[in-house]
Amino acid sequence: MTKLEILFCMAALLICLLSALWVLYTKYRLRKTMEHMAQMIDAAAMGTFCEDVYDESLLSSIETKLAHYLAASKISAQQVSNEKKNIKKLIADISHQTKTPIANILLYSQLLCEKNLPEESQTCAEALNQQAEKLNFLIHSLVKISRLETGVLVLRPITNPISPMLEEVIAQIRPKAEKKGIRMEFEPRNLYACFDRKWTAEAVCNIMDNAVKYTPAGGNISISLLHTELFARIAIKDSGIGISEEETAKIFGRFYRSPQVSNCEGVGIGLFLTREIIAKESGYIKVTSEPGKGSTFFIYLPAAQP
Amino acid sequence: MPILETKNLKKVYGSGETAVHALRGVSLSVLQGEFVAVVGTSGSGKSTLLHMLGGLDRPTAGEVIVDGKPIFTLKDEELTVFRRRKIGFVFQNYNLVPVLNVYENIVLPIQLDGNVPDKDYIAQIIGTLGLESKLTALPNQLSGGQQQRVAIARALAAKPAIILADEPTGNLDSRTSQDVMGLLKITSQRFGQTMVMITHNEEIAQLAERIIRIEDGSIVGGGQS
Repeated sequence: MTKLEILFCMAALLICLLSALWVLYTKYRLRKTMEHMAQMIDAAAMGTFCEDVYDESLLSSIETKLAHYLAASKISAQQVSNEKKNIKKLIADISHQTKTPIANILLYSQLLCEKNLPEESQTCAEALNQQAEKLNFLIHSLVKISRLETGVLVLRPITNPISPMLEEVIAQIRPKAEKKGIRMEFEPRNLYACFDRKWTAEAVCNIMDNAVKYTPAGGNISISLLHTELFARIAIKDSGIGISEEETAKIFGRFYRSPQVSNCEGVGIGLFLTREIIAKESGYIKVTSEPGKGSTFFIYLPAAQP
Repeated sequence: MPILETKNLKKVYGSGETAVHALRGVSLSVLQGEFVAVVGTSGSGKSTLLHMLGGLDRPTAGEVIVDGKPIFTLKDEELTVFRRRKIGFVFQNYNLVPVLNVYENIVLPIQLDGNVPDKDYIAQIIGTLGLESKLTALPNQLSGGQQQRVAIARALAAKPAIILADEPTGNLDSRTSQDVMGLLKITSQRFGQTMVMITHNEEIAQLAERIIRIEDGSIVGGGQS
């Protein structure tokens, strides 16, 4: 081999070696860049992203673009929160401003009913009064629901005994039930759960009120308690008209009214509100029913130790 | 846009005279955050449907679209990764890893993906499912209901696009079933998690927001939201 050939071979080897090194180096650089980008995205998700490379590289330009994007989404989040604030204010205004006129309508329509009116006018006045009461209930329920949904009203679940709360609600419902000749049974048990007393009472009240409404005279309503490992269960069983299977999923919807109760008073908002309240307390509600034989509503609340 | 969609899904086992048509053109869609139950008797094709939805088996015809991606266009290895990232499973027999403790089981899918678990989120899940005092226990030291709760936590931890639950209360007594079902319901509410649950039990299905009925390989009700 001539000197020249050896030199050529060595040069070729050197070039090979150098290009291998170069490939390894670019791979290393690429990996670094990818890691840096993963860090950038993690930081963006945590809300701690800030640009830290300012040069003519592509990476720096990507950082700037990400910063722009984050700023834009921050602005839109701000806009959403502003809109939410406006909605809250609107609800507050509606509930405040409608209270007095509705109370007045109720008052005057009652006064009107007490007057010695000709029979024809009497029917009108009574219808007026009934509709005013319905409107009153509707507005109150809607305001409560939107307050719960928009987070104006926050439930504060704490550990409470269940039986006293139920007894309170039963005492409230009993006169209405007795007037209709419906028996109410309740066997208290020493169970505790985590719930907001005032709101849960309202939820239970809605269900018992329905039970009375849809149970014919002479029927009965029984309330019982049971606990599982994680939940305390309130069961409210009536001997009323029942709900068909296709309808059981729908009755908790907003403004749903079963066609078979269309001649009863009601606006179809009570069960929706009830479910919202129970869900906000990390509980759930379900129903089993057989048309003609009655329904049982089960409320599950997270169990707690006293 | 639906998060889960099937288009004219068909599955035939065997061929010729002995061919069994397990699914005869199933089209359904599930929206983000929905809790849907698929109800049918045994042999109605509901388990076959779940296997297709989860990418565990390939259909004879039709497609399954999860989060905008037709999943059967993926190669087998890609499908494995896709499943791990997008789909959480809860099985009847729990399928926990026996040598890992409760916490390790819960974060396993996240670690398999090479990610660091989001501690706050995991703590929230553990709190919701009432597992705080069991984190260092091994699966065989837990009751069936507790094991199923761990399986639910594991499915939730990776923030999948959908959770598929196959008879989640099949091995549990009725009281424990109520606990597990309640937790599925509450976690879907709280974390906005889309869930599809397969069951033959009407009473359990009632907790879902929508019930899809399947009979003899075809949908007979509730397929579209």
